[in-house]
Amino acid sequence: MRRAAWLLVAPAVALVVVLFVMPYANLLVMSFFTPATTAPYEPTVTLGNYKVALADSFQWRVLWRTLKLGVLATVATLMLGYPLAWNLARASGRTKAALLVLLLSPLLVGVVIRSFGWMVLLADQGLVNSLLRRSGLAPGGFKLMYNEFGVLVGTVHIFLPFMVLSIAGALENIAPDLPLAARSLGASATKAFWRIVVPLSLPGVFAGCLLVFVLTVSSYVIPVLLGGFKVITTPLLVVQTAVDVSNWPGAAAQAVVLFAASLACIGVYVSLMNRAMRGLSG
Amino acid sequence: MAGIQLRGLTKRFGSVVAVDDLSLDVADGELIALLGPSGCGKTTTLRTIAGFETPDAGEIYFGERRVSDLLPEQRRIGMVFQNYALFPHMTVAENVAFGLEMRKTPAAALRERVAAVLAKVQLTGLEKRYPRQLSGGQQQRAALARALVVSPDVLLLDEPLANLDAKLREEMRFYVRSLQQEVGITTVYVTHDQAEAMVIADRIAVMFAGRIHQLGAPADIYHRPATATVAEFIGLTNFIEGKVIGQHGALLNVDTSLGVLTCQGSLPSPDARPMLLVAVRPEALRLSAPSGSPPAENRLDGAVKARAFLGNIVDYRIAVSPSVVLRVQGAPHDSFAVGDRVAVTFEPAAAWSVPSREDTA
Repeated sequence: MRRAAWLLVAPAVALVVVLFVMPYANLLVMSFFTPATTAPYEPTVTLGNYKVALADSFQWRVLWRTLKLGVLATVATLMLGYPLAWNLARASGRTKAALLVLLLSPLLVGVVIRSFGWMVLLADQGLVNSLLRRSGLAPGGFKLMYNEFGVLVGTVHIFLPFMVLSIAGALENIAPDLPLAARSLGASATKAFWRIVVPLSLPGVFAGCLLVFVLTVSSYVIPVLLGGFKVITTPLLVVQTAVDVSNWPGAAAQAVVLFAASLACIGVYVSLMNRAMRGLSG
Repeated sequence: MAGIQLRGLTKRFGSVVAVDDLSLDVADGELIALLGPSGCGKTTTLRTIAGFETPDAGEIYFGERRVSDLLPEQRRIGMVFQNYALFPHMTVAENVAFGLEMRKTPAAALRERVAAVLAKVQLTGLEKRYPRQLSGGQQQRAALARALVVSPDVLLLDEPLANLDAKLREEMRFYVRSLQQEVGITTVYVTHDQAEAMVIADRIAVMFAGRIHQLGAPADIYHRPATATVAEFIGLTNFIEGKVIGQHGALLNVDTSLGVLTCQGSLPSPDARPMLLVAVRPEALRLSAPSGSPPAENRLDGAVKARAFLGNIVDYRIAVSPSVVLRVQGAPHDSFAVGDRVAVTFEPAAAWSVPSREDTA
């Protein structure tokens, strides 16, 4: 029985090992090799790549920007997504199906197409700016893309469904009698929401934030298209180092640093959330 | 403390009338059970009293206080839900303290009252447990404590025992009843379980299709159901249709297909149809051997068609005519076998008349 169970998960394990664990291990090993010009690397062990990655203030600024965009996108999707999730969780029947289609339909279009869509809207001569100019509200228009704002707008839009679905799942699991019980005990609708609904939805908030954060700090296409290489994030830097400069070990070290930094952020976040969710599980 | 008055309460969901012009007076300190099958409007009535539903018409008073336009949190109610609705992220003590916190009770008084009410429901020592760490019965008592600690004007219970196992449910009936009497709080108790309503209530309101068919003490409801629907819902009843042909004091002579039967009742009003139903409970019917010279009044001769031994009683089906089969329940010692000829007799005082179904439908 036990052996049969292991056999059943074997294909999945093999897939993860070959496509996920081995490339990562390869990356980690490569980050300790010496850069070379004629081959991807020279198999001489060195700490030089990390010395460069950690000593270079430019790389720290890029890392900081990457994590900052991750946090901002997470906060923005949370604030936009919670009300959406609330309405999605309370809807039923045809309304719910319609809302789900609306929410998920952007996922059917690739991330490149959607980023181009935002470029049409946000460009200097784009829809938003020409409307602003023509209406006289802002004759000079605004710089809406090729900066962090543009990257953030695209990121928030594209990752919003992940946040909404996570939170809506948690909200749907809250028995409708719970807020009513709070009301019967003298809590206003607002108090019942903050004291009962919000704490009980934290597991969904937790999962949604985690998803959006890791998706944002690792995203490549959105910062390239909406940042126009003016907003350099670590994934962009890694690709530039590897492809443009052909410094594969240096790029590997940068990737490992980003990974470690994200892991540290997630670690702090998980311990904070666990404290907030005391009593919800276990 | 206050009584509850419902005046012409009506609640519609789309084209469905869930509560239909319902009026009810619950006396101060009284426990009334709303009893009926699912979908009869009993829970909607309760949720309207709580303020979770807005009535389409009608008014609700707690004593002199008109509450129909108040929000639930302004009504000063205590409510126990079918699934208890304990807050899963709060301990027992935090659950019970919630209502006091909302009323801004000072910390010292709050701790004292939480401890007192937990002692009353025998949950002392479990303050720090989370609801999922409690048994069903303990959760039930925690929910009662949470509702009672705020000294509400009225207590509303929505099938509070439905999720307990049978044995515990029976114990909790007596427990809830004695707790309610000890606190002396006006209570509306929703249930679909007639035995529960009988044990727990001062009076029972039997509801069908959004209306109260009968309101009375448990014994009255059982012994004198006002309609065939009530009689069928509460316990088992045999009905024999007939036409009134005479009245002697409180007794009616009814001409049925099985002969003339005598039962309690009053003459139907002159404009009503003369047809009515003679109703008699299975345990009020007595079986005897035809040779044993049973009384001639209210005697029906038949044969045992089926027999089931239920432990404390024997459940018979007696065919008294090709189309009429009576349900008879007797003590296990007077035993008849399938096929035996028997005489079925009953006291006129044990049978009563109810309007025929066409009149109440």
